[in-house]
Amino acid sequence: MKLQNFRRPRRHRQFHGTGSMDYYAAQSELRNWNGSYKVIAACMVLLLCLILNQLEISVTVIVSMGIVNIWGNQVSFRDYAGFLKIPMAFLLLGSGVIAFGISKYPLGDFRISLHWRYLCISDEGIRQALELFFKSMGAVSTMYFLALSTPAGELAGILRKAHVPKVVVELMHMIYRFIFILTKVQGNMKAAAVSRLGYVDFKTSCRSFGQTGGNLFLLSLRKANTYYDAMVSRGYEGELVFWEEEKPVKLWQVGILAMYAAGLVFLYFWVK
Amino acid sequence: MESNTEEILRTERLTYEYQPGSPALRELSISISQGEKIAVMGSNGAGKSTFFLNLNGVLLPTEGTIFYRGKRIGKKDLNDLRKHVGFVFQDADNQIIASSVQAEVAFGPVNLKLPKGEIEKRVTRALEYMDLLEYRERPPHYLSGGEKKRVSIADIIAMKPEVILFDEPTAALDPLSGDMLEEVLDKLSGEGKTLLISTHDVDFAYRWAQRILVFDKGGLIADSNTLEVFRQEEVLKRAHLKKPQMLTVYETLLRKNLIRPDSYPRQAKELAETLM
Repeated sequence: MKLQNFRRPRRHRQFHGTGSMDYYAAQSELRNWNGSYKVIAACMVLLLCLILNQLEISVTVIVSMGIVNIWGNQVSFRDYAGFLKIPMAFLLLGSGVIAFGISKYPLGDFRISLHWRYLCISDEGIRQALELFFKSMGAVSTMYFLALSTPAGELAGILRKAHVPKVVVELMHMIYRFIFILTKVQGNMKAAAVSRLGYVDFKTSCRSFGQTGGNLFLLSLRKANTYYDAMVSRGYEGELVFWEEEKPVKLWQVGILAMYAAGLVFLYFWVK
Repeated sequence: MESNTEEILRTERLTYEYQPGSPALRELSISISQGEKIAVMGSNGAGKSTFFLNLNGVLLPTEGTIFYRGKRIGKKDLNDLRKHVGFVFQDADNQIIASSVQAEVAFGPVNLKLPKGEIEKRVTRALEYMDLLEYRERPPHYLSGGEKKRVSIADIIAMKPEVILFDEPTAALDPLSGDMLEEVLDKLSGEGKTLLISTHDVDFAYRWAQRILVFDKGGLIADSNTLEVFRQEEVLKRAHLKKPQMLTVYETLLRKNLIRPDSYPRQAKELAETLM
């Protein structure tokens, strides 16, 4: 379901505001697909991408997941590029290192002499680094597919079905809900501090930030109490159960997944 | 207030202490009949919310008893009270717990251990009632304040309680949401629900309520029909309440012989009709 009347001012991307991953998950076109199906699909593609371990496969996964995220999950291209930027920076640094080697002898296809050691790069090293980089990016895009199509609350429900301990699932629900309440409160407190010049310079900022944090802690204790009252008032008896909508898996959805997986395997043998 | 309908809730010398020695509620004996529209008034900290939490079975009275339909509510019957008496909290953000509107509204029915089909029916009906159907799948943190309030009311409607307690529902609502709230209240009393609303808005109380309870420092200082309460200057002064605008207007017009005596209009429309 697309939420047309979501107010969505074009603002700087925030963690919990509009344009956040949670926001996209809530308005994704794929939101009404069965949650377990999405988890299984994501895991399957992830495994194929890792096991088949081939540059062409990885690129195919990155591109296809990108298409799914932008068309299916309705993520704007700009925001999606933003989401990819963070892991990309890490992976570039991480896999870049693999291409290089340090040796006493002039090995590899290219080398730079550093007095008594050589910094060498081989064709194979570059290939390996590239493969690793694209493979990881493929894995990241697949996980983004899951995160951008399935809200955290639903994910918790799937974990419950997968027999993850109740405490963990209940905590997940509560934390998810509280993140938004506390960030809102924190935002208000910060605004109040800013309006009284609480952030004029570094020293004041540190102090204001600390005080806001302390207040937030006390406030969350109090809020937890009212929350508990509200839950008890609606018949909570020690077990937090949420109603989940049934979203049956459709045959054509399974078909798409099977075809996609078969396509990847076929590509693997064809390239090989 | 004399009434020939059935008594639904009664408190006998209800006392509640958060800390020993400083009672938040002092020996309240109140009888509430089915279908009544009651406004609970009093300054902040007078004990309105504590009274509601007791009526709802969240807090256990320190002393005194609560009767629901003549049945004495002991420690083990608190869930009965929670089932039949619904409580709409003042701040919707303190009440909303699930991560989608429909899961939120279903929270109460799920706890009532209702069958799945029934839950679904009740959720749909409650959402329809509060005009929230199109918000069904949205996460509550992307809703506006008025929408959240509507969700918190739908939460309670889905549990189908006979008595509904509203803790300052008109606070922090824009005029449009306020109007909508009053419509919903009318609809609910039309269905025979018993409503108790705590409020600081004297004009709203005068317009809406049949009966008013005035609290002061945990004690009950007035309990009678709306008009009588607002004509007791002493009570109004003690509870720091103002006289409703409409009543002041009426009294002024009466002094000048411009309005029919004993008409006591509650709304602008009625006022226009009773002018001479």
